[in-house]
Amino acid sequence: MSVAAAATPQDRRQLLIWLLPPLLWFTVFMVIPYGMLFYYSLGSTEYMTFKPGFSLANLVRVFRAEPYLSVLLKSARIGAFTAIGATILAYPVAFCLAFHTRSARAKFLIYLLVIVPWWAAYLVKAYAWKTILGTNGIINALLLDLHLIHEPLTLFLYNQFSVVLTLVYIFTPFSILSIYAQLERIPTSIIEASSNLGATTLETLTKIIIPLSIPGVIAGAIITFALATGDFIAPALVGGPDAIMVSNVVINLLGVAFDWPMAASIGIVVIGVGTALISVSQYLEHRAQARF
Amino acid sequence: MTTIIEARQLQKHYGGPLAVRDVSLAVNEGEFLSLLGASGSGKTTTLRMIAGLESPTQGSVLFRGQDITHVPVAQRDMRMVFQDFALFPNLTVWENVAFGLRLRITRGRYTSDEVKSRVGQYLETVQLTGHADKMPHQLSGGQRQRVSLARALVTDPPVVLFDEPLGSLDANMRKVMQLELKRLHRELRKTFIYVTHDQEEAMGLSDRVAVLKDGRLLQLGTPDDIYFRPNCAAVASFIGAANVLDGVAATTPGGTVSVELAGGVRLAAADNAAGVANGEAVTIMLRAEQVRVAPAAGGAADGVRAQVTERLFLGEKVRYELKVPGTGLRLTAMSSGGHPGLGLGDDVLVSADPGHVRIIARGSAPRADA
Repeated sequence: MSVAAAATPQDRRQLLIWLLPPLLWFTVFMVIPYGMLFYYSLGSTEYMTFKPGFSLANLVRVFRAEPYLSVLLKSARIGAFTAIGATILAYPVAFCLAFHTRSARAKFLIYLLVIVPWWAAYLVKAYAWKTILGTNGIINALLLDLHLIHEPLTLFLYNQFSVVLTLVYIFTPFSILSIYAQLERIPTSIIEASSNLGATTLETLTKIIIPLSIPGVIAGAIITFALATGDFIAPALVGGPDAIMVSNVVINLLGVAFDWPMAASIGIVVIGVGTALISVSQYLEHRAQARF
Repeated sequence: MTTIIEARQLQKHYGGPLAVRDVSLAVNEGEFLSLLGASGSGKTTTLRMIAGLESPTQGSVLFRGQDITHVPVAQRDMRMVFQDFALFPNLTVWENVAFGLRLRITRGRYTSDEVKSRVGQYLETVQLTGHADKMPHQLSGGQRQRVSLARALVTDPPVVLFDEPLGSLDANMRKVMQLELKRLHRELRKTFIYVTHDQEEAMGLSDRVAVLKDGRLLQLGTPDDIYFRPNCAAVASFIGAANVLDGVAATTPGGTVSVELAGGVRLAAADNAAGVANGEAVTIMLRAEQVRVAPAAGGAADGVRAQVTERLFLGEKVRYELKVPGTGLRLTAMSSGGHPGLGLGDDVLVSADPGHVRIIARGSAPRADA
C-alpha cells in the first residue's frame, strides 16, 4: 500500500508541509534555472539583445561552427588527463592510508594533509602554480642556478600541460578520498586469506585489491573529470591561448559577446554529455561493485 | 607420533599487557587440536602466530622441526579458515576455490586440467557442486564457510588452521558444520588446529584441547583430562559446570581423607587424595552433575542439608543452585533425572561419591570469602 493511499487528508496536509521546503528549493535552484537555460538556448540575439524564439540553430552551431566543438573536445581531453593524473597520484596515497597506516593518529594526520589545501582558496592555489612554473618561477630559478639553462624556459607555463598540472594538484584529494573509501571496505581478512593461499603481495594487489577498488577509481575519475572539464580559473591563470576551455568560452559569450543563446546551448550540450557520462560510469561502478 | 607444529615460548606484546605469554605446545601429525579460551585469552593470537599473520615478540614456531618464525605467510604450508570466511567477493565460488591452485599453475605445481578436476572434487566434498558459478554474496553463511573450507583444503596442506570458523553461524548450522568438520578430519587425516571459545565444540571435536586464559596456556590434554582432571581452578570452572571449593584436609589413621569446607561441611575425597597431609589447605572440584540431590522429606540416608535457591530447566537437565544454611556455602547441581516436586526454597539433602571429589590444588591458602 502506498503512503498516499493510506493517508488521511490530515496526514496528506502534513506531508505537504514537510515536503514544501525541499520542493521549493528544487524548484528555485533546479527547475527554474534549467528551464531558463533551455529557454535561452532556443532564442537568438539581435544587436546584442536577446530575442525569444524557437530554434535549434544554436544547438547545431555548437557542433558545426568553430571553435565550439574543438574547445569542447579539448576541455574533455584536459579533463581526461586530469582524471588519469589524479588517479595515478591518488591510488598509492589511498592505498597507504587504507592498509599501511595502523595508528589512528597517523591516519588522521595523512587525512588532514590531504584535506588542508582545501582550506586555502582555489584561486590562491592556482596562482601559486604560476609562481612555480613562470619565467621568474621556482623551477626556472633552480635550473638557472644549476647552470642547466642560460635563459628562463617558457615551456612550463601557459599551455595545456600547466593547466592539467594545476588541475591535477587541485582535484587529486577527490580521487584520494573516493579510492580510500572503497579500499577501506576491503576486510583485512581477505588480504590475509590471499597471502595465506600463497599469493605474493603483487598477486594480491592485481587479483584482489585492484579489482575490488575499481568502483572507487571510477567514482574518483568521474568527479575529477567533471570538475576539471568545467574549470575556468586554471585555464585563465596558467593556460595560454592554447588552453582556452569551454567555461572560458561560455563566460566570453555571456559577458563580452552578449550571445546568451549560444552560451545556453553550450551549457545544454555540456549538461547532456555530462549526464550521459555519469549514467554510464554509474552503471560501470555498479557492475564492478563487489558485495562484501 | 611425530610432532608437526611446535610453538616454543611464544610471546606477543601489542602494548599493554602481554597478549600471549610463554605459550609452548607441540601439535602431533594428523591431530585435531583445539585452542580454547574466552575472548582475550590469546588463542587467536597464538593461531595467527603459527600461521605467520602475526610475528611473535619472542619465541619461535617450528614446522617439522624447522624454525619457520620468519618465513612469510605465503610460504608456509598451512591454510587458514577465517571466522568471517574471507571469501574474495570479486570471484565466483569456483574461482575462490581455484585461487590457491591457480597461483601454483604459474609456479609449475599444477596443470590447469588438474586444477579443474581438483576444484570439482573439493566442491563435491563440501557439497557445493551446483553453486560453482555463484558469487559469494549469493550464498548462505553455511555455504560460504564450506567454500572457505574447500578453498583451504584443495591445495592439500598438511596443516589447516581454523579461527572460530563457526562463530558467525546460527546454532543449527553450527551443529551441522561440526559434524562435517569431524568427518573431513577423519577422511583427510590432516592436522587441524582449531580456535574456539565454545567448550562443548572443543571437547566434542578435538583429540586434545589447550585451555588458555589471559595469554597463558593453563592445560593441554585430552577432553577427558581437561574435564575430569583439571590442573587448576580456572580450568575446572571454565569447562562445564563445576563446584570449586576451598577447604582443609583431615586424614584418619585408616588413610581416608575428608575435606572440611566452609561452615564445617565435610566431604570425603577418594579420587586423588593419597598423600594429602592432615590440616593441609586444599581446593577441591566437584562436577555439578556429580552432586546428588534428594528431597529432604524423601527419607534419604545421609547428606548435607541444603536449600534450593534457583531452579533452571535446561531440557535434558535441570540445574539447581543450592545454599547450605548457616555456612555461606553455595553449590551448583545438575540432575538429569529430575525431582519433579523440587522447587524454590525446598529443603534437600546433598551428597557426593568420594570418588568424584577431586583435589585440584594443594597448599593453597584458604580464600578470604570461604
